[in-house]
Amino acid sequence: MSFDATNSSKSFKSVGTRPLRPDGVDKVTGRARYGADFNMPGQLVARVLRSKHAHAKIKSIDTSRAETVKGVKAVVTAADLPDLTDGDPALFAVLDNCMARNKAMYDGHAIAAVAAIDEKAAKAALKLIAVDYEILPHVTDVDAATLPDAPVLNEAIFTQGVEPKSTRPSNIANRTEFGHGDVDVGFSHADSVVERSYKTEQTHQGYIEPHACVANCNPDGTAELWVCTQGHFVYRQVCADLLGIEVSKLRVTSSEIGGGFGGKTHVWTEPVALALSRKANRPVKLVMSRDEVFRASGPTSATSIDVKIGANKDGIITAATATLRYTSGPYADMWAELGAMTSFACYDLENVKTVGLEVIVNRPKVAAYRAPSAPMAAFAVESAIDELAQKIGMNPVDFRIQNVASEGTQSSYGPIYGPIGIGPTLEAAKAHPHMSAPLGKNQGRGMACGFWFNFGGQTCTDLNISADGTVTIAVGTVDVGGSRASLSLIAAEELGLSYDNIKAVVADTSTLGYNDMTDGSRGTFSTSMATISAARNAIEIMRHRAALMWDIPLGDVYWEDGHAHAAGTKHGNLAPLSVKDIAAEAGKTGGPIAGHSELVADGAGVSFATHICDIDVDPETGSSRVVRYTVIQDAGKAVHPSYVEGQYQGGAAQGIGWALNEEYIYGEDGRLQNPGFLDYRIPVCSDLPMIDTQILEIPNPKHPYGVRGVGETSIVPPLAAIANAVSNAVGVRMTHIPVSPPRILAALTDAKD
Amino acid sequence: MNIRFLLNGETITLEKARPEETLLDLLREDRGLCGTKEGCNEGDCGACTVIVIDENSVKPLNACILLLGQVHGKAVRTIEGVGVDGKLHPIQDAIIKNHGSQCGFCTPGIIMSLVAAQMNNEKDHDVALAGNLCRCTGYAPIIRAAEVAQQVVLPEWLIFDREKLVSCAILPSLEQPKSSDDIAALLVKSPKTRLIAGATDIGLWLTKEFRDISPFTFLNQANDLTKIEEMEVDYKIGAMVNIEDLRLWAASVSPSYGELLRRYASIQIRYAATIGGNIANGSPIGDNPPALIAAGARIELRCGESRRTLPLEAFFIEYGKQDLRDGEFLESIFVPKDFENLCCYKISKRFDQDISAVCGCFNILVQEDRIVKARVAFGGMAATPKRATHIEEALIGRDWSLATIQSCENLWDKDFTPLSDIRASSAYRLKTAQNLLWRYYRESLGETCNVLEVSA
Ligand SMILES: Cc1cc2nc3c(=O)[nH]c(=O)nc-3n(C[C@H](O)[C@H](O)[C@H](O)COP(=O)(O)OP(=O)(O)OC[C@H]3O[C@@H](n4cnc5c(N)ncnc54)[C@H](O)[C@@H]3O)c2cc1C
Ligand code: FES
Ligand code: FES
Repeated sequence: MSFDATNSSKSFKSVGTRPLRPDGVDKVTGRARYGADFNMPGQLVARVLRSKHAHAKIKSIDTSRAETVKGVKAVVTAADLPDLTDGDPALFAVLDNCMARNKAMYDGHAIAAVAAIDEKAAKAALKLIAVDYEILPHVTDVDAATLPDAPVLNEAIFTQGVEPKSTRPSNIANRTEFGHGDVDVGFSHADSVVERSYKTEQTHQGYIEPHACVANCNPDGTAELWVCTQGHFVYRQVCADLLGIEVSKLRVTSSEIGGGFGGKTHVWTEPVALALSRKANRPVKLVMSRDEVFRASGPTSATSIDVKIGANKDGIITAATATLRYTSGPYADMWAELGAMTSFACYDLENVKTVGLEVIVNRPKVAAYRAPSAPMAAFAVESAIDELAQKIGMNPVDFRIQNVASEGTQSSYGPIYGPIGIGPTLEAAKAHPHMSAPLGKNQGRGMACGFWFNFGGQTCTDLNISADGTVTIAVGTVDVGGSRASLSLIAAEELGLSYDNIKAVVADTSTLGYNDMTDGSRGTFSTSMATISAARNAIEIMRHRAALMWDIPLGDVYWEDGHAHAAGTKHGNLAPLSVKDIAAEAGKTGGPIAGHSELVADGAGVSFATHICDIDVDPETGSSRVVRYTVIQDAGKAVHPSYVEGQYQGGAAQGIGWALNEEYIYGEDGRLQNPGFLDYRIPVCSDLPMIDTQILEIPNPKHPYGVRGVGETSIVPPLAAIANAVSNAVGVRMTHIPVSPPRILAALTDAKD
Repeated sequence: MNIRFLLNGETITLEKARPEETLLDLLREDRGLCGTKEGCNEGDCGACTVIVIDENSVKPLNACILLLGQVHGKAVRTIEGVGVDGKLHPIQDAIIKNHGSQCGFCTPGIIMSLVAAQMNNEKDHDVALAGNLCRCTGYAPIIRAAEVAQQVVLPEWLIFDREKLVSCAILPSLEQPKSSDDIAALLVKSPKTRLIAGATDIGLWLTKEFRDISPFTFLNQANDLTKIEEMEVDYKIGAMVNIEDLRLWAASVSPSYGELLRRYASIQIRYAATIGGNIANGSPIGDNPPALIAAGARIELRCGESRRTLPLEAFFIEYGKQDLRDGEFLESIFVPKDFENLCCYKISKRFDQDISAVCGCFNILVQEDRIVKARVAFGGMAATPKRATHIEEALIGRDWSLATIQSCENLWDKDFTPLSDIRASSAYRLKTAQNLLWRYYRESLGETCNVLEVSA
């Protein structure tokens, strides 16, 4: 692990150290409570009946026999979740996805659910629910869905964003376009052009903890939900809207979360559990099986992307275009738009145009997965960039450096960049020993860059100072990667206390103001802003209290190093008061001391990374092995460097799995063939090298400490880095992710023939 | 059925227990021991790993497919029971200090696997952790923790549990057969009894398909079936030898077969699964049958007091149909000793913990440049494990040369018309099968093939 802090100027005491995480002991002893580890007295067990058809009209559902099973307390269908969405299409999609209303749109779509006193009764009841389906033609492939003869999946969807307005329903839900300059002119100045089509398969976040919740609706209209989620406030809002509960009457507590990576930003079964509880008037526990997680939570898009890039003989890119088709499952969404925005974000381009097409298919509703949509776009673009570098005879690092975006560049998706880290990561890659290490027989090296926007959003934090001078911070962003430790470091830094004196907890929705969820790499970025501001508010109060204790004017009290100091010598060299001193007197000086903050954390600095990868390919079987992997990424400021490294390694590991093996495989019948970890292959220990990381710190000017989000960007480059490495090893351009052994062998065989 | 076992050092007696209930359900639902996690309920993720101890073994096992009948008479340790007197086990401590736990959901299982590995002196982390999925860390900090924790001394509770097992006299239940004679007698009386060996298949029937498997019995107390004996011309392998024990033996007689078994599932599954189950289930993709067929193994089937033997390949009649009669069970496997040339190749998408797309095994003997024996068997290429008879014929009697290997090129589709499925296409399977013969040939000439993946 290396750590380069040359770009940061501010000096810190706590921030940048690596203390042990506060949740460590709970996690290694099995005491940490996850979604399925919570129980309520008298709770029922719920199970969901799911469609085995990829596309079918639901003509009728008869639940009468299921209701008579001994131990069954409630059966719900879409009829128990009346449409309260008031014309909001995004919310309606969530509702329809929770429980199919008129049509089953994919294999795994929920049709009905049962709550019973035990699993056996629930299972027995599911078998007795009679559903009369009319099977409809289906389409699961991204390209097939856009063909003229494809079945139209939703008659109400007309392509948005096209002129003139579309008059026929289509599986292309919307078209978005980004860019500037004139690409035709740009291509006319190119000496070399690469034009290719790429495909990526659908993947799943693959968190090891299945979705789980306990719901409890009371007859007085109040309700509680215990749930593993990345955003309990958002779950509260959505569930309250769907069930017609007053928002403040629904209390949502987030459990410890066993991985989410975007997949727990969206409700799947939680509204159903609440509906069951409401109907049964008992608490209801609903845990998804692994099979259900694959079939019916939210994987990524499958994509098909055309890229064209031209450069002149000096290595300057003169024009670049991309058309990106992303599946979104059965409902319109904005995944292709994100892909179109991120495609060329690493480069300074005079002429660029990207078009995103959102494609409706009979697959589960897509959800975010770590830097959603960016990895696929980066795969296509970074593959073409590599090929173009080869074509004009430049080394791939130099070619990228030649065209790299920097402060002041107009990004391909619009905004003008502030200080950014892509150039430094490329320079660091160029200088890295990995770049010049010798390669063995059948080995190839690949590199790729990646970008992610990062997000700030609504945030609220409470900071309470106890009578003994220790501090609790109550935050509303779920801790998915060690943020309780990082935020404690931030509070310690700001208050001048030691890390051990701070305890961070994730507060439930009834005890803190609204927080957006932990996504967009915002957890540490935005909540640290709110924590800093809460701490500064508390310091203000402590200055007041010190002034009272000393009986001197407030203006003469200043705060430094965790102490109130009396300014100058006129107050007779008063000994500074510590937080502990002030807290001890709080009862006499005006009551408890707390700092509160609510804000919209603007200015999440954009994030960039460059990855290098060596891969070993067996030409006879097509199997491959990553032998070396290096991640170089800008963190702005690494609050807890070990967790930053953890994010870099974790993202890269997921990207490597995606690049090499992970994919949803659908049969002709539209059913998912591999809804389990044995056949949906996420990397095991032996699949990965010890991933090396290098943290750069190019401070984010919009954050008091320079922090940028770090959680997502690391999944962006691996698809391309691996595909480039494999292509270099076998001498054939790999254009379809995952580059699994059969695809590599087929490419080799085709090349020979 | 009464079931008794030690749970974190305390004796548990379950009266009227359902022996087909999983240990995971008991721990989480009845005992409130929620530290053992459920990530998949099908043996793939390792989040439910517990340690099971008896007088001569310490096994990490997946609690989600471990049935109560299988833990009867043993000592079970869960994550709640690895630290003593409020102190963390050194591996727990090392995980915290090396930041080896991010979301922490995999952590209890990872710790149990590492504790077991350390107790068994297993130093290869890839082997110890192949059955534990972690989606957060990329494994590097976990491996660092494992390295730090390697020097740990054996936990006190190992001796404590073993002594207590003896002193509280947890006896084998009367209802379970305790020898192959018992099994034979039971099957004569009720020939429809379902035999549960390691339950790595049957566990899934219960947790995924909710099948009713009664009447059934557990074979794991039949200690006479867990031996591997060296006879005059053969090795005799009892049907209840688990795959991990089989691997240790195989590694000593045929490194290639040993390496194949190292890549069989994960250590948790290998400790549970048995050779008998791996053959009796008739799966076309089981890893042992092709190796054993190539080695020339015969199996012995027993019904009451009568026994018959047949070549292993003859046992597999067609998909889902084996030559196993009512009241009969698989007792032993006989493997001729002369299989030094056996070479096994497992082709799968992932190196560890993956089902074979193709498993090719070659046992070819060349004397004075002539091929005098050729046994070639494949899994994943047909509806059953199958010999490549056309290839064998084309080899026997010819010289061991490039030309001979080339002459086989067009024979593969006479032997096999493989399926396309999620693991591989038909074309991929045929192509790799062909390539494997080439590889075997080149390796026999001393050429090393550089990719670890295939030289299983
Ligand atoms: C996660 C996972 C990974 C796996 N990976 C692999 C792999 O890499 N390679 C591989 O080959 N397999 C793999 N398997 C499959 C599995 O391990 C085997 O099929 C296993 O050998 C079955 O043995 P068992 O003892 O567990 O059988 P059980 O589940 O106990 O029984 C299986 C069948 O065999 C019958 N049976 C058992 N013993 C006898 C006997 N003595 N006489 C007659 N009938 C008997 C049973 O009645 C039952 O019908 C995997 C399984 C899992 C869950
Ligand atoms: S829960 Fe995944 S192996 Fe048991
Ligand atoms: S720490 Fe999250 S799965 Fe391992």
